Amino acid sequence: MKKRGIGFASVFYGTGYGNGFPDISNAIAELGMDGKITIYVGATEVGQGAKTILSQIAAEVFSMSVEEIIFVCEDTSITPDAGTAAASRQTYNTGNAIKIAAENLREEMIDVAIERLGLNSRVGLAVKNGRIFLKTFPEKGISFEEIALLVGDQHLRRTGSFTAQTTQMDEDTGEGAPYWPYTFSVYGIEVEVDTSIGTIEVIRSVCAQDTGRTINPKLVEGQIDGGFAMGLGYAIYEDLNLQKGKIKHNRFTNYLIPTAEDMPEVEKIFIENPESTGPYGAKGIGEPVTLAVAPAILNAIYDAVGIRIKEIPVTPDKLLIALKEKEMEV
Amino acid sequence: MKVIQLKVNGGVYKVDIEEDMRLLDVLRDKLRLTGTKEGCGEGECGACTVIMDGVSVNACMVMAFQAEGKEIITIEGIQRKDELHPIQRAFLEEGAVQCGFCTPGMILSAKALLDRNPSPSRKEIREGISGNLCRCTGYNQIITSVEKASQYLRREEEEK
Repeated sequence: MKKRGIGFASVFYGTGYGNGFPDISNAIAELGMDGKITIYVGATEVGQGAKTILSQIAAEVFSMSVEEIIFVCEDTSITPDAGTAAASRQTYNTGNAIKIAAENLREEMIDVAIERLGLNSRVGLAVKNGRIFLKTFPEKGISFEEIALLVGDQHLRRTGSFTAQTTQMDEDTGEGAPYWPYTFSVYGIEVEVDTSIGTIEVIRSVCAQDTGRTINPKLVEGQIDGGFAMGLGYAIYEDLNLQKGKIKHNRFTNYLIPTAEDMPEVEKIFIENPESTGPYGAKGIGEPVTLAVAPAILNAIYDAVGIRIKEIPVTPDKLLIALKEKEMEV
Repeated sequence: MKVIQLKVNGGVYKVDIEEDMRLLDVLRDKLRLTGTKEGCGEGECGACTVIMDGVSVNACMVMAFQAEGKEIITIEGIQRKDELHPIQRAFLEEGAVQCGFCTPGMILSAKALLDRNPSPSRKEIREGISGNLCRCTGYNQIITSVEKASQYLRREEEEK
């Protein structure tokens, strides 16, 4: 018999290293002779979209198109340390460092512009599309390229550093607030359990994700779909079958990950509540989008067949045994 | 040692092979076409998918000698002159690439599907790429890309 049920789960997740551990990102912003801005940063792109989002943050500082930003990352001989691409920390932590470096460079460029244009104040200046100019008199302005020529070989190059606020928990009680900031998310999932063979199919799923501010919707959607697939595998498929320290399921014939046919469509809702300390309000979402999937599926199984499963993955054999036990109790 | 002749991405090649070589080894090690990836090496993950005589195959499961006289298309061969193939373009536009390791195989499976079914439903696309595992994307943006690519290709056909 096929039985359907709906389950919800919510999580909050502290991004960054937390617990008093120093969490520092560094970046460099440089004005090139062609008037383009280069960002040097040790952040690692592993497909999550760090390069895109971090370039967007730099572009926003200068109100220029993202194509005008040259982004150099990962090469440790020329890029400063920005910590690991882990703990969902690159958008918030390294994004902040890049924003600071870019703002420092922008202020330096404004200094050059003020001198060149013979102005007596920073008031009323705008930076846009590769120019610095007076808002009330746009003809009075100077291009980034001209600024680079004026400065010549010295190169305008400024650093930015961001240290996240992390506090150590009380060692005895385990209490405290170790992270800053926290990201929140909720999943609602409907499953169909086939009680004759013990399989579980996800019929419908909705993810509501707090992003602080969504810098790149397509990338956030991609993270949610990817996180859902990992959470789905974690909940019902992926079993390492560890025996005496050896992984017995060491190939894809027995370590099953979701295929395109197992993956449902995921309805996505972004909750935008800007984080005051984040770059343009943004927070990390990479890991949070995975976490609530498994508990929501387990709750949906409970709703469908009235069984609390306490061990994952809920493979058909486990579910059939649980169904049998419940039957015998009655 | 044995010499085989095969056609790859439109070019004819004569290659010295060992008897136990796979098509994957010929492509990567002999012809230096490293866009075809080796994932599991046992036909489960689809990372090494190429098109052989119009059918998608796992290049790790085809022995080199079986490719004698065949026509192979790899990811390096689907670009059109200086332009991306519509499937590649759609993948970029829809964010279908994360780490990128499954991408060449995905694109070739998508091509094999669209070549025989120009207007697949999302369900048919899921089935068509179900032999290609992806750890990052959760597939949905890939499926949207294949849908979009099918529109691009149909529009091209109409304009002809």
